[in-house]
Amino acid sequence: MVLDIRNVHVSLGSTPIVHGVGLSVAAGELVMLLGPNGAGKSTLLKAVSGDAPTRGEIIVAGQSLADWCPQALSRHRGVMPQRVDINFPLTAEEVVRLGLSAKSPGRADELVEHLLSELEISHLRHRLVPGLSGGEQQRLQLARVLAQIADTEGDRLLLLDECTSALDPAHQQVVLQRVQRLAREQGVAVLAVVHDLNLAAQYADRLVMMRAGRCVLEGSAREVLTPEVLDAVYGFQARIVELPEGYPLVVPLGQTRAQTAPLKPVCRQAS
Amino acid sequence: MRSQLAGILLAVAMVWPGVCAAADIRLVTADGAITEIVYRLGLESLLVGVDTTSGFPEAIAALPKVGYLRALPFEGVLALQPDMLITSEQAAPQKNLERLSKAGVQVEILPSAWSSEASLHRVQTVGGLLGKEAEARALVADLQARIDTLHRSAEARGYRPKVLFVLAAGNHSVMLAGKNTAAEALLDEVNADIAFADLEGYKPASREAILASQPDAIVIAESVPGQFNIDNWPELQLLDAWKSGHRLQADSMLLLGFGPRLVDAMAAVNEVLPGRQGVANR
Amino acid sequence: MMLTPAGRLDAKPALLTLGSVALAVALVSVSSGAYPLSVADILRVIAGKEAADPVASMVFLEVRMPRFLLGFLVGAVLAVCGAVLQGLFRNPLADPGLIGVSAGASLAAIAVIVLGNTWLGGWLALTGDWALPIAAFIGGSLTVLLAWRIANRSGQTAVATLLLAGIAINAVAGAGTGLLTFYASDEELRSLTFWTMGSLGHAGWDDLVLGAPFMVLALVLAPWLARPLDAFLLGESVVGHLGYRTDTVKKVAIVVVGLGVGAAVAVSGLIGFVGLVVPHLVRQALGASHRIVLPFSALLGGTLLVAADSLARVVVAPAELPIGLMMALIGGPFFLALLLRTRVM
Repeated sequence: MVLDIRNVHVSLGSTPIVHGVGLSVAAGELVMLLGPNGAGKSTLLKAVSGDAPTRGEIIVAGQSLADWCPQALSRHRGVMPQRVDINFPLTAEEVVRLGLSAKSPGRADELVEHLLSELEISHLRHRLVPGLSGGEQQRLQLARVLAQIADTEGDRLLLLDECTSALDPAHQQVVLQRVQRLAREQGVAVLAVVHDLNLAAQYADRLVMMRAGRCVLEGSAREVLTPEVLDAVYGFQARIVELPEGYPLVVPLGQTRAQTAPLKPVCRQAS
Repeated sequence: MRSQLAGILLAVAMVWPGVCAAADIRLVTADGAITEIVYRLGLESLLVGVDTTSGFPEAIAALPKVGYLRALPFEGVLALQPDMLITSEQAAPQKNLERLSKAGVQVEILPSAWSSEASLHRVQTVGGLLGKEAEARALVADLQARIDTLHRSAEARGYRPKVLFVLAAGNHSVMLAGKNTAAEALLDEVNADIAFADLEGYKPASREAILASQPDAIVIAESVPGQFNIDNWPELQLLDAWKSGHRLQADSMLLLGFGPRLVDAMAAVNEVLPGRQGVANR
Repeated sequence: MMLTPAGRLDAKPALLTLGSVALAVALVSVSSGAYPLSVADILRVIAGKEAADPVASMVFLEVRMPRFLLGFLVGAVLAVCGAVLQGLFRNPLADPGLIGVSAGASLAAIAVIVLGNTWLGGWLALTGDWALPIAAFIGGSLTVLLAWRIANRSGQTAVATLLLAGIAINAVAGAGTGLLTFYASDEELRSLTFWTMGSLGHAGWDDLVLGAPFMVLALVLAPWLARPLDAFLLGESVVGHLGYRTDTVKKVAIVVVGLGVGAAVAVSGLIGFVGLVVPHLVRQALGASHRIVLPFSALLGGTLLVAADSLARVVVAPAELPIGLMMALIGGPFFLALLLRTRVM
């Protein structure tokens, strides 16, 4: 396992947000965290990113998070935050280069070129970041994070917090295809927080549903995205359409009630 | 009278070579009162520069200004190639005074004079430094006589009036003088007391305190003559002392400089102090 | 001059140009002043010829040289500290005045001026001529420590808290200064005014001996911060994600600013706008990367302050304008124009 989370509790200030979550992501696997607002998805991701004080055990690439040297860890774990506000006149290319460090200049240029073109932002390379749109900035940050873990030997983990929220539908596909390829072809383990259930159904290898700080359900899109689960976790009615492409489509039909239905946790604890 | 004249003649004879020597030195003064002394001794032709506190007499305006007494520039003073710098102990920075001295300028730092006695002594000192001891002695004698007359007149009043002393640098920086100030020293010379004797130094004016002070007279010292606008301070106009005309508005350098014009300042203040009669009538 | 595709100046030619300008300003600075010194005089002094006029030698060696060096160092350090704070706080308007360092240093110095004859008599006896500069340095450093203590909770330093602490410290230091001003005698008040305006008019080798080690140390430590500060521009959490020890970076940055600004305020009083205007100009012309911003700010800051000081001592000769006033006169309107023109801060 590239990421192994065992019985993790996270509090922000004095408020407990995540209560004893266990979760693991294997090499080449794309796992997406789902759940309503306030379920603790982003907080759990923060814990794995090292940005929140945590109880329990988080193991990244075979080593406990606390034991990693920050410099080495940054080569194995890329974190894409929900939002990055840049107030300074950095160019897009400079931002991507911040992800690079001890690489040969030739390889660095090639890598930057490659990432910019793959995420369709080559034309922006000399533009100043504060003038870019939200979606352009989001793709830029992904390029920076991908540069950071590119070329690393051994296990690699990519953490994405709502990496498609500011993107138009076409670029949501571009970005997630890139992420999926990274997992499939290069064996990177990906843990992503998403809100769009259909994108999750389309791209995730496995879905983890969270509610009120706990993992409540885990499995394939077909297992997790059922009318009963959506009703119980989010509190809305939905019709599930099975697409010929092999994954379900969620069509919301309207809100029904608050999310109060009892739902037995079925999330397995990572062993 | 005859012996006095003889004394002067003798003194002139004794210092004659000194006067010759003084005639061609280049002099910079930094302190308005000291500059005035140099003028009163008729030595203004020696001056090659003064500081910004030297504003009297007006003939000074044409001289190069070396800046403020408390921030004397080394190069600025040195550039005037003075042989001597006479200043008061308020001069700063110390380092630049030392450097000037090292660069060959004779730097004379005179103590501040906050009494008629010290003020006259300073006249004599400056006279001595510039080889005009006899002239200085004559000037001192003349000033002393006038001061004595004023002292007697002030004593004759038979009581010490309470004076509200205001220091105004523009309309917004209006300060009340308290104890341990040149203002208090000036009032003491004319047998009067400062109204805010429990204040230390100069403090921002409180309009209510002015109303409550009930002074016998008001003195307003302006750092720029004519700048203080009484219409912005109606409280002063409400005071009995103001209404009855026991008030004086004058240049702060005249009032607080303790130079050769001290006697004029004393006379001006003494003029507006009410006699016992004036107080009783209120 | 060649522009890069991003519309910026190319760093190498810009460095050559700025270096030449700095050299020219240095030459003008040491050869101009109220006292007439010809180039021949200066050359004679440098050559150590016995023919050199002793006064010329003194003016050049004991007044202009230390003043030039101190001015350059203070300008460089203030600009670099401004750049470091702006990176740390991710705010182009952050300034050494912002977290209270300048205010803390000046409060300590004013306390010595006002209370030197009474409560702090022992301090004066202990430090002698050095009472004011040493106090300003200690005050500045303590303020940084205080800001750090307030903002640092359980090993984490939230930049927002540090900023708020700076505001509070500035307010308290301002109140303290106001209170001391109230109790100051007329005479103390006037020397205090001139000190708070900032001046290099007394600069000598002793000021350099006292201030230079701290300022040079700050300038030597600063380059280590360049890469982590770039990461800071993306966000405080990103610094950690990119593999830097965030808290160590913050500590070093605070030490650099404490050393630099404390020493600068100690030897020259309050000189504003250098820390604000210079890094801003550098970023506009050459980009925001700190590997560019830090060295260029040092060079431009030093050059700008020396140029302003040279102007300050000839424009109303034989008197001098306080350099702080001069910088405010140049920097204030310039910065306002810049704000109006760029809009995006």
